[in-house]
Amino acid sequence: MGERMKTSIVGLGQTEFSKNSGRSELKLATEAILAALEDAGLEVDDIDGLVRYTWDHTSEATIVNALGIKALKYYGETEFGGVNCCGAVAQASAAIEAGLASCVVFYRALNARSGVRFGRGERVLEEVDGGLVTRQPEPPGDIYSAPFGLLVPGQHHALYAQAYAGHYGLDTEAMTEMLGAIAVTQRGYANGNPRALLHDRTLSMEEYRAGRVISTPLRIYDYCLETDGAMAMVIVSRERARSLGAKAVDVLAAGQHIFPGSVPMYLYAADTHSLAPEAVGRELFGKAGLSASDIDLAMIYDATSMMVPIALEDFGLIGRGEAHGFFTSGGHGPGGTLPVNTHGGLLSEGYFHGLNTIAEGVRQLRGESHNQVSAETALVTLRGASSMVLGRA
Amino acid sequence: MTVIRPSDDYLDQPFWTHLAAGTLHLSSCEDCGKAHHPPSPICPHCRSFNTGWKPASGRATLKSFTEVRHPVHTLLEPAVPYVVTLVELEEGVRMVSGLPPGQEAELRVGMALECTVIRHDPRFALPYFLPAPAAGHPDTA
Repeated sequence: MGERMKTSIVGLGQTEFSKNSGRSELKLATEAILAALEDAGLEVDDIDGLVRYTWDHTSEATIVNALGIKALKYYGETEFGGVNCCGAVAQASAAIEAGLASCVVFYRALNARSGVRFGRGERVLEEVDGGLVTRQPEPPGDIYSAPFGLLVPGQHHALYAQAYAGHYGLDTEAMTEMLGAIAVTQRGYANGNPRALLHDRTLSMEEYRAGRVISTPLRIYDYCLETDGAMAMVIVSRERARSLGAKAVDVLAAGQHIFPGSVPMYLYAADTHSLAPEAVGRELFGKAGLSASDIDLAMIYDATSMMVPIALEDFGLIGRGEAHGFFTSGGHGPGGTLPVNTHGGLLSEGYFHGLNTIAEGVRQLRGESHNQVSAETALVTLRGASSMVLGRA
Repeated sequence: MTVIRPSDDYLDQPFWTHLAAGTLHLSSCEDCGKAHHPPSPICPHCRSFNTGWKPASGRATLKSFTEVRHPVHTLLEPAVPYVVTLVELEEGVRMVSGLPPGQEAELRVGMALECTVIRHDPRFALPYFLPAPAAGHPDTA
């Protein structure tokens, strides 16, 4: 048995996902936090810790002042877009285990569709004398990559996809079959999930094939959906979770792992067909006292469909190079050997930067998913940069 | 067509002034001899601050590529489609590159490439990589 973490997620809260929330990020944030507290059976005055993203626009000060949080004793910040969601949970858990706080809220609030869009070049470029200039020191859109037109994460993901195809000798048709199987199956899950932005829109393999190519080999349906909204979760010690009687889900292990070239965008790291060393999964499962074969469910950060096969291989949930066979035979679908992204994923529920990836893991282990499967454990990973194992309480 | 420029203050740095003069140089350690990219004041291999600039051989291997068809900025609408590449130089460093605007080539992960520096204006040039047999076409300056 590894040294398991001793915290639980006891509350989830969120706003609706939309293309235009029609309200400020502060309002979204406070709505989500209050909903998470209500879900946990806790009050604003119970909050003594807060974890937020540096890329969000609402600061700790704003939240403390807006909600009138009486005493905030721990606040932590975390980096890098979506890939550090599990790191934020690890940070909250560490603060609790160290006695710095007893009830930590992790939240994100972004008008990422109606406001600044991560998928557009305007975020990193300036127009100067009718031309385009970058001042970014780091990817995406930095001075060493923007001049060649590499500007947004979705284009980096196309490079990951082609690198994978080249490494395993998969031709265009094989890539289409594999990625299409992911996009179409996840849309099916979204069709069963009323929270999903694309709940009412079906997707067939024929429609997938006919989809507009954005950046080869990726089509429009391989991309996530820029989304407005907010989500929050409440984390407390396992002991407190039990006394609350809340619908807790246990954090068995959570951690971060970055290395040279892997962040902010994975461009310069040694391997191009993989996004995380195998040691990441080994250590994570070890801490949870489990092995890859004990995982019932996988929640994978799918900013594009290509993240899904790479993550399953990186964490040893399937063998190297086995992804095409696994996905084309429906291993990730309803009734498959390892259901994946049963909310529809970032592709079809909405791109909420991985918080919704975690939330679906929590809902599954509570027995509250709209596409419920039988599961005791879930892996959540955001391309290995941060990962966690959740367990049914 | 629009080629995105680093802002002028960056173009005074050695990586860019060497390119403007016609050659790709790599930030390299004077102690352990290894190159690194992007440029850095400290060698990530031996942590020496004794770094300088060495000309690159220009030989590289293609690690990945993508044809960008969707323009992510309105000023890039005339630029698509264009090809972005991820290349590994003989010196062991990874770089983002691409095919020169308007140039086509049959690309395959693992193929050999050679660098060609193309000047877009007197201060700004870029290192492109082409399949080895087709490389070495003249500087357009």
